[in-house]
Amino acid sequence: MGDDSVPFLLDQGTTKTYQIPIGHLDYKFIEKCTDVKHLEKILRVLRSGEEGCYPDLTLFCEKRIEHLDPRSRALRRDKPAATASDFTAEEWETINGELMSWVTEMNEDDKKPQFLRTDTLHERQDNLPPIRCSSSCLPANQNKKSQNKERNKKNIPRDYSEWDKFDVEKECSKIDEGCEESNSKARFFSRPSLPIIEKKIDTTGMTKKEKIFIATREKEKGNEAFASGDYMEAVIYYTRSISVIPTAAAYNNKAQAEIKLQDWDSALQDCEKVLDMEPVNVKALMRRATVHNQLQNYQTAVEDLNKVLCVEPENTIAKKYLLEIEKKLKGLKPVSETQGKGKRILIQDIGDSDGDEERGENTEEHERSGRDKKIVLPVRGEAAAGEAAMGNTQRKFHSKGGGSKAEDGETQKQKESTESRLKKGTAEKKSQKHLPDREGEVNGYLHSDQKSESPEAEAKKVSRWHGAGSQSAGGGRSTSLPPTAAKLKSEGNELFKSGQFGEAVLKYSEAIEYVIGLGEQSPDDLSILYSNRAACYLKEGNCADCIEDCNRALELQPFSLKPLLRRAMANESMERYRQAYVDYKTVLQIDSSIQAANDSANRITKTLIDQDGPSWREKLPPIPVVPVAAQLHRWDGGNFTSENKPRSTTDVNREEQLQMNREKAEEMFKTLKNEGNDFVKKGKYEEAVNKYSECMKLNNEECTIYTNRALCYLKLYKYEEAKQDCDHVLQIEDSNIKAFYRRALAYKGLQNYQASVDDFNRVLLIDPNVLEAKKELEEVTQLLNLDSSAVAGSQQKQRKKITIQEVAECDEQEERQFATSEDVVTDHVTSEEAVQKSVRLKTSKKLHISEPSNAYDFGQIINAVNSNKDKAACADLLTITDPKKLPVLLSNKLEGEMFLIFIQSLECYIVGKDPGLVYQHLFYLSKVERFKVVLALLSKNEKNQVQQLFDLLSENQNNQYSLEDLESLKKVYEL
Amino acid sequence: MSAAGLERPQLVSHVQQALSYTLFDCKWVPRSARLLCLGSAARGTGLLQLYELRGGRLALLREIEKAKPIKCGTFGATSLQQRYLATGDFGGNLNIWNLEVPEIPVYSVKGHKEIINSIDGVGGLGIGEGAPEIVTGSRDGTVKVWDPRQKDTPVANMEPVQGESKRDCWTVTFGNAYNQEERVVCAGYDNGDIKLFDLKTMSLRWETNIKNGVCSLEFDRKDVNMNKLVATSLEGKFHVFDMRTQHPTKGFASVSEKAQKSTIWQVRHLPQNRDIFMTSGGAGSLHLWKYEYPAQRSKKDSEGAEMGVAGSVSLLQNVTLSTQPISSLDWSPDKKGLCVCGAFDQTVRVLIVTKLNKV
Repeated sequence: MGDDSVPFLLDQGTTKTYQIPIGHLDYKFIEKCTDVKHLEKILRVLRSGEEGCYPDLTLFCEKRIEHLDPRSRALRRDKPAATASDFTAEEWETINGELMSWVTEMNEDDKKPQFLRTDTLHERQDNLPPIRCSSSCLPANQNKKSQNKERNKKNIPRDYSEWDKFDVEKECSKIDEGCEESNSKARFFSRPSLPIIEKKIDTTGMTKKEKIFIATREKEKGNEAFASGDYMEAVIYYTRSISVIPTAAAYNNKAQAEIKLQDWDSALQDCEKVLDMEPVNVKALMRRATVHNQLQNYQTAVEDLNKVLCVEPENTIAKKYLLEIEKKLKGLKPVSETQGKGKRILIQDIGDSDGDEERGENTEEHERSGRDKKIVLPVRGEAAAGEAAMGNTQRKFHSKGGGSKAEDGETQKQKESTESRLKKGTAEKKSQKHLPDREGEVNGYLHSDQKSESPEAEAKKVSRWHGAGSQSAGGGRSTSLPPTAAKLKSEGNELFKSGQFGEAVLKYSEAIEYVIGLGEQSPDDLSILYSNRAACYLKEGNCADCIEDCNRALELQPFSLKPLLRRAMANESMERYRQAYVDYKTVLQIDSSIQAANDSANRITKTLIDQDGPSWREKLPPIPVVPVAAQLHRWDGGNFTSENKPRSTTDVNREEQLQMNREKAEEMFKTLKNEGNDFVKKGKYEEAVNKYSECMKLNNEECTIYTNRALCYLKLYKYEEAKQDCDHVLQIEDSNIKAFYRRALAYKGLQNYQASVDDFNRVLLIDPNVLEAKKELEEVTQLLNLDSSAVAGSQQKQRKKITIQEVAECDEQEERQFATSEDVVTDHVTSEEAVQKSVRLKTSKKLHISEPSNAYDFGQIINAVNSNKDKAACADLLTITDPKKLPVLLSNKLEGEMFLIFIQSLECYIVGKDPGLVYQHLFYLSKVERFKVVLALLSKNEKNQVQQLFDLLSENQNNQYSLEDLESLKKVYEL
Repeated sequence: MSAAGLERPQLVSHVQQALSYTLFDCKWVPRSARLLCLGSAARGTGLLQLYELRGGRLALLREIEKAKPIKCGTFGATSLQQRYLATGDFGGNLNIWNLEVPEIPVYSVKGHKEIINSIDGVGGLGIGEGAPEIVTGSRDGTVKVWDPRQKDTPVANMEPVQGESKRDCWTVTFGNAYNQEERVVCAGYDNGDIKLFDLKTMSLRWETNIKNGVCSLEFDRKDVNMNKLVATSLEGKFHVFDMRTQHPTKGFASVSEKAQKSTIWQVRHLPQNRDIFMTSGGAGSLHLWKYEYPAQRSKKDSEGAEMGVAGSVSLLQNVTLSTQPISSLDWSPDKKGLCVCGAFDQTVRVLIVTKLNKV
């Protein structure tokens, strides 16, 4: 059948398989058709031959598809392997020849005497890591029993559930104390910044061949990492390759990766090493020129480029580059433009050399250059102001930014503040005047911020404001964050964003310390740092510290919205409703449109009316009036933590205040410390804590203050705070025996026995004669052994434990993931949620006793309550919990202990106030799943307690229940 | 063939050698031009043949017969000097042989009740930091990790809970061995389950199901921070997981590609470039693939958690060598582009893949 037959077949129905109109099997149709799917079907029909055989049409169709979609699956056809005939003679020669020579080389190699082998073997084996399990030797002083148990367990078969039941924490501490914990956590949030890869390879006993083999492979790994855009990893693998055998290629590639990372100094060194080995390596010369250009050593860059042109006179890129740099040298162009161009060239160069190095990464390259451009933009704008000298530091910032927007913002801000440093002379006065501007601005961005509630958003906004706002407003930030602090801050922001509040706190604290340590006071930035840290504390539920930080922030920056809001929330969480009310009201004075503040204020009003009656307003602390020109007034907001903070008078200029502080700091520090010590002696720990906290504001590097305060916290059973103080001390002084001892006690209080044991061991390591430590150690070790189930008890350490439970509880991945996501959801209150809701959620979650939203929350709180036998807390919990929800909240977790503490707290705290509620609770308690079982297991004594409660109920008659009701309920309780 | 076609890598059949027994696995001997064929002789015994590449042919150097058919082998846990071969056989025995003295195994253990389907080693040949270890996966449903220095008992054992149905484990592989502590084992089962066991924390780190039996699993490199994992399946699809970013709920991002209608028996990454890999199919075909990374390998989801972004896979070349399934595949660790494959048509083929540098 010829092609002519097609027209005759037109309109004669469709094909059998795909119901394609026969008319589509036509040159004209195929030529016009752009639907690849349809064409593929046509091709299949044509290939099948069911409508007749048209080889030309088939080929035409194939070509058309290839034109439209070269990757189409329909084009894949079975073909035999290529043979010599598929290649030109020369090609085949090279392919075959290469293989043959390799084969001969290999075979010859193998026949060589192998004298090296036997004597090196043992040496190699000694270097091997120990066998798994028995490998993980515990510290000698650790308990032996557990060690044996673990070991036995290893060798018997383990089923999946057992794998899951593994106490991750124990395993980790066995392998390497604690370090894994953060890792496993990080696994679920963000990737650890860099995996720990050894930078050197042990090559003892290796033959030359083996070394080459390994060096090549490490280099290949570096190339692969480079290709996937992971330059850090690439640098590590090149370093490893170099550690085996230093080669020019590895150095050269490493230099390229370092250029990508904008680590100019290292890149320069590596280029120089290459040039030591191969003085005319063009790639290395080009790269060195790039680096020199970036370091603004234009002269040397020109020299390098000239060398390149000596070797390769036709190298167009080098020529172009040379021109650019020469222009720069002459200073014909404004700095800004050349800077921009410098960047562009850098990219070109990289693209070019990549081609040389067989790294197909074009797409990646595009992407990268896009990113670079993004970064360049602000540079241009900025450079117009003539900030040429800043070049290097700024670019380093960019490299760390790594394209992350948040950090870009940060960098920009940093730059701007640096710029503003120039105007320092006038800045201070201006800052005073322009405060209202800033306040307004703050209001402006608060909304968006509430949604994400991350300090990072603040940074972004602020920087945008800077960018857009007038120069003088920019000058408001009279001094800038130094780079180190800015970096710490942005790291903190990142951590905050990823939900690692504890770590974020550390970063912020470091930043704060750094800023304070510089002596150069920059109240604005410091205030933001404090405010950010406060946000972390709030997230962690550490309300006391949150308030403290807010106070500091407010001292530095009176009437800033965020610290005020955060303090309000913290106060509310701590049930200091009056203070919270005052704060919310202040916030509303500044900006009445903040919905969250409005709602909270209303809510609190209700609570306060309930609490204090109609005259509740009289009991309020004075609400500070926010003056229209708020900037000149200082409101002494420090009194909320009810300590004697230095109350600054309203009209004292901030600058003067700071000046004064510095002078008097030392003196005050001493007196405060002594006062604190006195309080400790008298046993008034609360006051002592306040004194010490005061001290810290003056000097936060004095370790003794922290250890002293930790002691107070211990006495006050505030273990988490105590731990934090000790952590702080240990950061400064890593062998402070007191800090270790107190942290161990804190861990014990937090029921983190493993950590406690570790710390006691460290104490004993430092001074083996500390009897108390020995005693405590014994006790804790016993606790640790007895009580593996109670690990989940501590409220404060919840976050870490959750991760473990996830692994421990669920067999199914889905379930486990669900649990995590739930955790995440409650942690980061997402921006999707309504503003109002988000605020509520936060307060309730972070409260020690808050309304539990689900059975899990409730279980956590109950665990915490149970472990402390804290009846008051339990009573609080029961007060805010809707009795009807009890069966749901308790699900099947009701236990005797829990039951008892319910009864006790109802009896001690609630029955007097609200017998109706007690009745309700008892009623619904009896509907809980395991109620009958628990009841059956009660001892006589315990039954008596229940009886007592019922007696009290019948005494305090209430209209919410009748005596009959009570009697019938009694029966349910088998009394 | 068009000129454009020649730009792409070509698969050249260099040597074909017919065998007289069923071939299950073939392996290059590291640092040499020799290769090993493992299989089952007609009378139900195990056979181990050592060939050397000489000119355009394979010269048989040695033939060793063992009691049980040998299913799989690896050099992964031996040093470059020793080059001991670890094998798993139909009887569930794990043996380590010194090929120069093959009469008695260097190490032997009856590790499983049934056939060992798959074996992998790490920590040897300079690949992977840490202790040399061998992992075996068996029809009895268990996956066991062995240290050649510890007799008789595995150092880790992963098996289903008592009572839970035992799935046939078809494939095991090591990965993530970038330092002395980190190491994972990934196992694939006949029901499509893939389980990732973290040997450092001794926990099940991740699992998923790809709906069809998992025939082969391999990390792109065992000795880097987990980067990619390829899983091939019974019905002709394979999945590439980006293992860098684990999302708390969604796990690892993946891209899947259908190569052909028949089972994909094996996947092997080019040792010199982790982004290129070859799959061998049930219809005697070989497909050479390249993985391309996305512009951004991870992104933040609405809750701020990092999640991976999968790249894409493109076909570089495909050939059909036989009508029978190609059951085993191995790249030479020493010569880029040299590979060996064994098919059920009782033939072992040495292939050259050209132009891998230009991919």
